[in-house]
Amino acid sequence: MSYFRVNEKCNGCLACVQNCPADALDSTDVGDQRTLRHNMARCARCGNCWRVCPEDAIEFQHLLENKWDEIASLTLAHCSVCGEILYTTRFGETVSVKLDRTIKPLCPRHRESVASLARAHFFSGGKRPKEVQR
Amino acid sequence: MIVGDLKPLDEIVSTILDYKRVLVLGCGSCVTVCLSGGEREARQLARELSHPRHYKDHPPEFTVGSILRQCEHDLVIAYQEIPPETDAVLSLACGAGVQTMADAFEPLPIFPTLNTTFLGASLKPGIWSEMCNGCGDCRLSCTGGICPVTRCAKSLFNGPCGGPQNGQCEVDPEIPCAWALIFYRLKKQNHLHLLEEVKTPPDWRPAGGRGPRTRMRTGIG
Repeated sequence: MSYFRVNEKCNGCLACVQNCPADALDSTDVGDQRTLRHNMARCARCGNCWRVCPEDAIEFQHLLENKWDEIASLTLAHCSVCGEILYTTRFGETVSVKLDRTIKPLCPRHRESVASLARAHFFSGGKRPKEVQR
Repeated sequence: MIVGDLKPLDEIVSTILDYKRVLVLGCGSCVTVCLSGGEREARQLARELSHPRHYKDHPPEFTVGSILRQCEHDLVIAYQEIPPETDAVLSLACGAGVQTMADAFEPLPIFPTLNTTFLGASLKPGIWSEMCNGCGDCRLSCTGGICPVTRCAKSLFNGPCGGPQNGQCEVDPEIPCAWALIFYRLKKQNHLHLLEEVKTPPDWRPAGGRGPRTRMRTGIG
């Protein structure tokens, strides 16, 4: 999706191309077609194109507001007890590699309660408590 | 970029005591990058200013907004919407942005919330250092790309002075001596002969001594 948009008033005069200080606008004439091009990486969003356009064809508001682009989509890991979202599975794998052990997907609350459970189990001769705090 | 620091909260509160509806307006350029005046900081400031403890009566009603740059008159006129019945604006822009907004929306009062501090560069994440004074007579070509006007506490053109200790400035031992940095940079560049030239006193008139500076570039439009 382009952040730089012109409306139907554009008559291809190239005022914007000639006045862009960042060389972010360009045009090509091929056959009977003039094509205007915009490079977002070069664009300084200075608004000069919008300022100089004699036809009010540049809709600068799209460069000011626009919408969110999805740039990545990753699977989430949930707490194995309550289902609370914790982190991405890739992040869990990275941490596991760095710690050199598998980490259980548990939220802080249940990590604590599972630890209490384990302590209770080992220090009470194997008798399991009846309730686990959630 | 322009670096600014948030003013003390009490000072900001004192400017809006007489107002009922206040727009807290961030600026999306320099001060966003240096984490002092972006939309996130505007939201945070509005949240802090909303606390009743700052006021004898009710706190003003705050709305939050942000625009790419507050320092471009035609841009703010065309695209910055001021919510109805707003009776004051708290601007998180630099001084240039605050003044542009005050001109654009006169007579609406526009109050600064930042102290515009310096022109700086970020050498490490989260740290900005002053690099340029805008003196209008750049001598970086003979100082190895290190500005003595800005980075020497005494702005010496023929340094160092007699004060540096172990390469640190006598004014503040935390600051490296700019002239020590210049020496070692020029040594690496094999340009130490540049230090043997006595620099003439600078012409400070382009530094603003003749009043506010304006530049006009032809060929636009």
